[in-house]
Amino acid sequence: MILGLRRSVVAATLLATLGAVVLAVLTWKGSQVTSESFLVTTYIGLFLGALWAMYATGLVVVYTTTGVFNFAQGAIGVFSAFLYWELHVNRGWHSILALFVVVCLFAPALGVTLDAVIMRRLRTASLVVQLMVTVAIMVLLLSVVGDIWEADTPRRVPYLFGINNGIDLGPSQLPWHRLIVFAVAIAIAVSMRFLLRRTRIGTAMRAVVDNRELAALNGARPNVVSSTSWALGSMMGALGGILIAPELGLDPATLNNVVIIAFAAAAFGALRNLPMAVIGAMLIGLLRAHTGAWLDFGPDFRFAHLAVAPLILLFVVVALPQARLEVGRLAHHLRRHERYTKWWEGLFGCGVVILLAVVFSGGWLDFGIWDPGAWGSRELNSANEAMALALIGLSLVPLIGWAGQINFAPLAFAGFGAFVYLKFAGDSGNGYWILLVGLLCAPLGALVALPAARLRGLYLALMTMAFAQAMSLIFFPHPWVMPIIGTGRQFPHIELFGVTFDDRRGFFLLMVCVFAIFVYGLVLLRRSRYGRRWMAINDSQAAAATLGVPVVWTKVVVYAVSASMAGIAGVFWATVSGNVDSVQGFDLLIGFNIVLLVAAAGVSIPMAGIFLIFIPLFKGFGLRLEDAGNVDFLVTLLDIMTTYGPGLMVLGMVFNPRGAIFEMGRGFSPILPWRRDARAEIAAENAQKREPEIGELGIDRPFTPEEVIAIDRRLGILDEVVPKEGYGTARS
Amino acid sequence: MALLEAEQVVMRFGGVVALDNASVDIDIGEVTGLIGPNGAGKTTLFNVVTGLLPPTSGTVKFDGIDITRATVAKRSQMGIARTFQKLEAFNTLSAFDNVRVAVEKNHRAKWKHRRVGDVAHEMLGKVGLDEVADVTVGTLPTGSARLVELARALACRPRVLLLDEPSSGLNEDETSAIGELLLGLVADGDNELAVLLVEHDMSFVMGVCARIHVLDFGKIIAVGTPIEVQGDSAVRAAYLGGDEFRGAYVGVDE
Repeated sequence: MILGLRRSVVAATLLATLGAVVLAVLTWKGSQVTSESFLVTTYIGLFLGALWAMYATGLVVVYTTTGVFNFAQGAIGVFSAFLYWELHVNRGWHSILALFVVVCLFAPALGVTLDAVIMRRLRTASLVVQLMVTVAIMVLLLSVVGDIWEADTPRRVPYLFGINNGIDLGPSQLPWHRLIVFAVAIAIAVSMRFLLRRTRIGTAMRAVVDNRELAALNGARPNVVSSTSWALGSMMGALGGILIAPELGLDPATLNNVVIIAFAAAAFGALRNLPMAVIGAMLIGLLRAHTGAWLDFGPDFRFAHLAVAPLILLFVVVALPQARLEVGRLAHHLRRHERYTKWWEGLFGCGVVILLAVVFSGGWLDFGIWDPGAWGSRELNSANEAMALALIGLSLVPLIGWAGQINFAPLAFAGFGAFVYLKFAGDSGNGYWILLVGLLCAPLGALVALPAARLRGLYLALMTMAFAQAMSLIFFPHPWVMPIIGTGRQFPHIELFGVTFDDRRGFFLLMVCVFAIFVYGLVLLRRSRYGRRWMAINDSQAAAATLGVPVVWTKVVVYAVSASMAGIAGVFWATVSGNVDSVQGFDLLIGFNIVLLVAAAGVSIPMAGIFLIFIPLFKGFGLRLEDAGNVDFLVTLLDIMTTYGPGLMVLGMVFNPRGAIFEMGRGFSPILPWRRDARAEIAAENAQKREPEIGELGIDRPFTPEEVIAIDRRLGILDEVVPKEGYGTARS
Repeated sequence: MALLEAEQVVMRFGGVVALDNASVDIDIGEVTGLIGPNGAGKTTLFNVVTGLLPPTSGTVKFDGIDITRATVAKRSQMGIARTFQKLEAFNTLSAFDNVRVAVEKNHRAKWKHRRVGDVAHEMLGKVGLDEVADVTVGTLPTGSARLVELARALACRPRVLLLDEPSSGLNEDETSAIGELLLGLVADGDNELAVLLVEHDMSFVMGVCARIHVLDFGKIIAVGTPIEVQGDSAVRAAYLGGDEFRGAYVGVDE
């Protein structure tokens, strides 16, 4: 302890300050700092900070009161901004009326609906399901925006009271809009703080997240409370979106990315401390404004000044104290049977996949709408894209599926893999370098996970996101990294065993083989001691630690394995894309979609990766159908499926957290002779659902466990006796 | 010298004092009891000893070495194992795999020359769970899942075994079988084992424990043999209700 601060905080602060000073000296633009220019920059920074503070306040309010971290906060803002544009600009409503309708009617309605339909059911769900569902809502909202308001129309949201009206500040002007934003953001933060700390409903809101049952017994109404939080949270998102739109332009992706900065700000307040979150937002705003004004990173790092938020998040993650291992959170009896894929099932599955690939790509079968001949280049493109995505998806299986850790940056690792391959095999295309790619990506994964692995899982998720953003802002745009862009040069064709895989079909079959190797490797890995250990830390980190398992190190190893697989997959992904456009190709949103699809498929099962094949396959189908003509309806249907499919499927996780593939296996179990386990499980579940005859209860023998469950259910106390949090309910 | 000593441990959660200068020592070859009313701080003491909670002040010594700052995993490797009052079994793994995770981690150091599967089966056999070895623990009844935790703790080949209400969820026969198992384990000199037992089943505690510590409101109010403790007036007051507000108290570890 130094001055009452933790050592880690002091060390991180010193390090960050030192780094900032060195960076500032190295990149100083040389423009003269006058008090006026300094003031103007500062007020721009504070204004930006205020906007992000609005988002962050919403995040913190929802998180402290419901325990769900809302990744869709930015998307709610995007949707609201478009709605505001529609009402105000397109329909000509008065700005105040439009603002009122969107912020005070639409946003709370959206929040309450989200809570009632989805969020309430996530209370006991695992972190993976919670995060996946909010990310799915984000993706769905953005898709809806994209469908309603076509992107090609240029749109602008005007400033409130115009940009030219405001207070005169000598050399420049402070428009009313920005002044209002600042005042409103501070007012919201202060009133939320007051609401949570000083009012009855606020106390109830905080009590409910700690112990829902106890709070309910003391008269709080948990459902009313969580609906209130979500309504408030989405109002803040809406207001933020509408007020920031005039500054950034009405572009869904740009507006949505704002939320990453808000995440960093919220993390600055350890996700629960409102004043610190606001300070964090202001700090990021000031840093952004002043770096933009005084520093010049040169053309090679032209986006680097935008990377303030990821760096702040890194700082927070390093400075936060180690999280306690939580005890008493496990809900016994809520888990069902998990099974290992048997080694021969794995072999059989891989064999089938390879066989199907050969048959399909060779066009040996006639499927009516498909040409009887070989796949054309378009189908092969689709198929190749699908296989590369599936490979990336597989990298998530051990990480998300087994260890229960989240990674939103599979594409960033893939991109790094592509970069390594390009550096070593750029000319020859020698495929053996792929092994080196795997070796070099592992330490990168470990490095990303290391600072956050000692914290709660949410920070790892945020950390990977920050990493993805930092990579796409700093690393990939550098000409030394991806020199191919703009030169028209192709990514090299992979050459292995003396064969150059330069035709699409051969390359497709190569990828299918790699896919089979990955899948089979995963099957073996899951049956190994490492697979067991990873699943153990997913179930109970505290218990694993008391058995001598070093939890932090184990998590780091899983990340390394996953990053290694993603890197190898990245080589194929880059080869498929040919011309790698770094910013587009390794985009965060595409990463989200991959994660969502794998999660929806059932991420603990190696075969889940195959689900990623559907999207490009649907696209291929759609193209083929368009050629055939007269099937517009089908084309539209496929289009809807590719746009909304992943998001909607993930929403299904609310009810079935183990994913689609698992349920398919269960569904087919009556006709699969070796799935005796699934049949037994279904029988056991049916037995549990059976209402016992009252006469047979406990008269001449002890209750069986099934009867206890039945009685609990009838009394309405099933699940309810398991508090959500353990001791002290620390959620640092 | 005692194998495990917790000295003057204080644990504060905000304004709540869960442990107030509590000192406990346990010896090799004995089952030591730790009893007290709900919320007395028994589980908190377990969490401090195993490293899940850093104490506000006080020290924990194992075999004379100060381990107050050691990590949970490190303490486990030194020989401290535990079960949990609220189940912390690996619910998605089978009973066999639950134990296997523990054996694998301690394989080289503690189970030389023995196959992992053999040790795991032996441990499951000790607690009488051979038949459900392949059943996923999440689907087992609570009592059996508790026994899985016990087998898992034994698979760490501990020198200090902390058991948090092992008998809850078990019937009388099963409870007495656990009692015999514990007495057998500590009596075997090769194990060099010390057991600390938190239990509400008084006949079980009085039957197996050589010494008993009584914890009330975070303080140790009595230490002694079962007979001494039963005759202690402070203990009687704590259990029967020394003051009228007693019933309204909601414990920190409940």
